[in-house]
Amino acid sequence: MNPLLFLRRIWAFVVRDWRLELSYRMQFFLRVLSILILVTTFFFVSRIFVGFADPRFTQWHDPLAAWLTGMAMLNYFMTGFSSLANAIRQEQVQGTLESVLMTPISVPTVIVASSAWDFVQATLFSSLYLVFGWLFFNVHYMGNFLLALAFLLLTTVVLSCLGILSASFAMVFKRGDPFGVFLGAGSALFSGVFFPTQLIRDYAGGAVASVSRVLPATYGLDGLRRVLIEGQGFAQVRQPLISLLIFLAVLLPLSLWVFSRAVRRAKREGSLIQY
Amino acid sequence: MSAATFPLDSSVTAPNGKAVVSVDHISKTYPVPFLRLKKAFKRKFKPPVEAVRDVSFEVREGEIFGLIGPNGAGKTTLTKIIATLIQPTAGQVTVKGFDSVQDDLDVRRHVGLAGAEERSFYWRLTAEQNLQFFARLHGLSGDEATTRISHLLRALQLEDSARKRFAELSTGNKQGLAIARALLANPPVLLLDEPTRSLDPLAATRMRATIKSLTQDAARRVTVFLTSHNLAEVEELCNRVAIISQGEIRALDAPRNLRATHSDNEKVSITFTVEDAMKVEAALRDAFSSHPFTLGRGEVSNTWTLAFSRKANDQTLDTVLRVLHNATSIVKSIESERATLLEVLEHYEQPDSQQKEKGE
Repeated sequence: MNPLLFLRRIWAFVVRDWRLELSYRMQFFLRVLSILILVTTFFFVSRIFVGFADPRFTQWHDPLAAWLTGMAMLNYFMTGFSSLANAIRQEQVQGTLESVLMTPISVPTVIVASSAWDFVQATLFSSLYLVFGWLFFNVHYMGNFLLALAFLLLTTVVLSCLGILSASFAMVFKRGDPFGVFLGAGSALFSGVFFPTQLIRDYAGGAVASVSRVLPATYGLDGLRRVLIEGQGFAQVRQPLISLLIFLAVLLPLSLWVFSRAVRRAKREGSLIQY
Repeated sequence: MSAATFPLDSSVTAPNGKAVVSVDHISKTYPVPFLRLKKAFKRKFKPPVEAVRDVSFEVREGEIFGLIGPNGAGKTTLTKIIATLIQPTAGQVTVKGFDSVQDDLDVRRHVGLAGAEERSFYWRLTAEQNLQFFARLHGLSGDEATTRISHLLRALQLEDSARKRFAELSTGNKQGLAIARALLANPPVLLLDEPTRSLDPLAATRMRATIKSLTQDAARRVTVFLTSHNLAEVEELCNRVAIISQGEIRALDAPRNLRATHSDNEKVSITFTVEDAMKVEAALRDAFSSHPFTLGRGEVSNTWTLAFSRKANDQTLDTVLRVLHNATSIVKSIESERATLLEVLEHYEQPDSQQKEKGE
């Protein structure tokens, strides 16, 4: 496929969604406000822990910095594995999917392009967590920002593979999204967004703690915090980086295969536009 | 307001014999979802729905081809198969030589679909923004899209609605916008699914004029595949009509031929004035010993109305006119009425046994 044409189509979806967003201006400002309120709340909660830092948890010496990176990443992760399925479901519910599919554009392109605006929004809102922390609550980040960005992008691509599986599920079963439920709730609990994952081992044992090892978000968040909070370089973050690459190598071909099967099935059943 | 026309100035052309859409032994059975699981758990399930059964026809370049049939006959399924939105269970559909399953993207480059579904647009975007979005999906650059959209809005008389949100448009303008969207990429084939549904009579007339003019562009011949429940509209617009019932094509021909094939009888009504009506009646009885007719006073004073039926193109009408002429009557009007498309449609909706009886 012509990459220029592909980008032009993605841009068309971004412009469409931007225009739709503009027609609901209030929603945008309320979202920004809610992030500011949340960051402020985390600031006050973090004040409880001043002087109580456990030396074992090097990324949690400043809990506010750890939470804000966690929240920013979680926002991105949720977009990664939910926006692809949501995009197709929203087009189905609106009734616009059929007209979009009548253009010479493949179903995978529709799904990727439909979720592009979600990623633009997620980037903005995730950045706001970090910016509000830096601007109003004196949170400082260090390290290689490009390396942090690489972790963010790689983790998002891996989670998007799970998002493709979720979209496949939405295409066949229409409602109910096991990937979203397990990974959404699971990532918040097991990947170290709000507390160090080592605590799970301490309190719930090794078996339960091993759940965090099979979640790609754990490695993404660990890598990001190592870079932004501990200031580690490429050589020190190889382990989470390799783990993410292994996830990618397994999940990418699997998700694309499952997705192609789901599209074929939906077309055969004539249920592509049903919801 | 006058009807929109495509092209704005062109010579009128007739369809040629070249097939643009070819439907070859198409069948479509909607499978039962998760049949094996349902069987394994002994759950009840409805039998698979056979929506289209061994359908074949060709749509020729430049013609308006109509597909009529009752609800659930398979019209929408067939349209969606041509539009690549549904895959057939068996058979093949080609558009301009491209297979609807193997080359679906190529087929969609050659086909525009306009339905009566209002939800297929983004209601909070303006008419122009909606068209811009779909133009970009068709691969048009920004400048190409702007030029094309302004041309279409002008041709379809939607310029005043360009900056209105889709939600604020009238039903007629919404339908017009659906046609504009279908024409964005200049497709040679246009699929119209009930294009005048829920339009007022004036808007429907304008829409029909627009559709007609689409096929009359000598430079770019658009072929139209149209489904409708409005039989008068089909009769007015279509070069050929296929009647679909229970998933099968029951008849396919020009509307006039369909009516003639169904029944070659026509009812004739002649209004005339004459000095001595009794003399006319006697002459008619002499001329038609076994042919029934009715003679009665007309609605206007001093007029008489003679009604009878005849086989198309037989000598009855000529004989009657001779009788009236010899009786020095003055013929005021002659009206003939043949089977309507509705009667043809009703005929094909009857069970096969009844159809055979009638045929015999």
